[in-house]
Amino acid sequence: MKNHRDIETLSAHLDGQLDSKESTKLESRLKTDPELESALRDLRAARGILRKLPSRKAPRNFTLTRQMVRLKPPLPRSYPLARFTTVFAAILFLCSFTTNTLTPMLNFGFGAGAPAPEAVMAGECEGCEGVAEQEAAATEAPATEEAFAAEMAPAATEEPPIVEMAPAATQAADLAPSSTITISPEILPTEGTEGTEGTEGARALEPTQALKEPAPEPTVEENAAETATQPGVEPEPRRPFNWTFLFLAVSILSGLAMWIMRLSARRKWR
Amino acid sequence: MDETALITSAQQGDLDAFNTLILHYQNAVFNTAARILGDDDLAQDAAQDAFISAFQNIKSFRGGSFKAWLLRTVTNACLDELRRQKRKPTTPLEPETSDGEEIDSPKWLADKGMTPAQKAEADELEHAIQHCLNELPVEFRAAVVLADVQGLDYAEAAAASRVPIGTIKSRIARARLRLRECLRSFEELLPASYRLDEEQAR
Repeated sequence: MKNHRDIETLSAHLDGQLDSKESTKLESRLKTDPELESALRDLRAARGILRKLPSRKAPRNFTLTRQMVRLKPPLPRSYPLARFTTVFAAILFLCSFTTNTLTPMLNFGFGAGAPAPEAVMAGECEGCEGVAEQEAAATEAPATEEAFAAEMAPAATEEPPIVEMAPAATQAADLAPSSTITISPEILPTEGTEGTEGTEGARALEPTQALKEPAPEPTVEENAAETATQPGVEPEPRRPFNWTFLFLAVSILSGLAMWIMRLSARRKWR
Repeated sequence: MDETALITSAQQGDLDAFNTLILHYQNAVFNTAARILGDDDLAQDAAQDAFISAFQNIKSFRGGSFKAWLLRTVTNACLDELRRQKRKPTTPLEPETSDGEEIDSPKWLADKGMTPAQKAEADELEHAIQHCLNELPVEFRAAVVLADVQGLDYAEAAAASRVPIGTIKSRIARARLRLRECLRSFEELLPASYRLDEEQAR
């Protein structure tokens, strides 16, 4: 019996895997070594037997079905977009919903003196009337101011401007009982009226005159009352936009679109 | 059959194209599985699993011999099946003495020779060769089936077995030697063309 190295070399020689140098060397050894020659005959016989082994034919077809490979129908190209929208909207909805739900609870738990905004808005908490009024006034302030500004504009053309508008933020912050709204004359429209026929210098002087001779300034409450009495101008309470419902709606709609896409793809597939 | 076009279509999910490839290669795949496993039923299962796996992973095919790639898949399926059989728990047959005590080693019960049924089957040459193939270690068996039964060259057989060429070369050589030794006991079954001296005369 030859060693494993010799057997490997003989086997490779049979398969033509040796280079010419190795083959020549092996052939010279085979001429002088009968044991090596015998081993080569054994290997050649074994290989011949295996190569003559009849090939087994497949007893059946192995073709695959869609169910076997769990092949899914091709979906439209817009499907990933719908899926992304659904997931994104659902996540936003959950975040929004959780925030809206947890915020009052946290306020209740950690800040006993600070009532929940919803409670304040609804006027459910005792002793919150003042706060509620302030907040209501603050929320209504911009609308009232706009209405007031619109109303005051024509008057400003006839009479000297009597108010000066400060930034809205400061107005909201300074909603003390004595707070007043002043409107700058530069902002007010001055078209086609007698007030506009004056010289530029006269117009420039008007605000200073107004400052020197202050007219009775209307308070927010008065303005609100005034606008309320005007027919057709109803102050609408400004409600915060409810994003939670928007996210929910988008999530449901895009989910529905996904379902329809899959259904139609499956029908086409059949 | 435009094999490249069919492979490209199959890579894009065309099942019909892949089924055409299956019809072309199913005999080779089943034959390989049958020779490695030595059982037709298991070979059918392995071949089916191999084709499913091949379709699911066809995107990983980067060119070269598609047959070798398929045979690698079926070889893996066969090796998995053999490993699974090995892992399958068996109930040990523990012989007892007359006192009811278990004998430590029941090895004496094992019959290393062929069973009567196996002997009857081995009366035919094909069964004799299959018997000798089954006697080989799994890795040697797979190597010799790929190289000698399916006719792959060393590089393809090495790729199909995922081993270096040197390893496949060694396995083939040893497998041939062991087969020859095993087949000596069936010398009378071998036709003249398969006998030892015949190959020498070629």
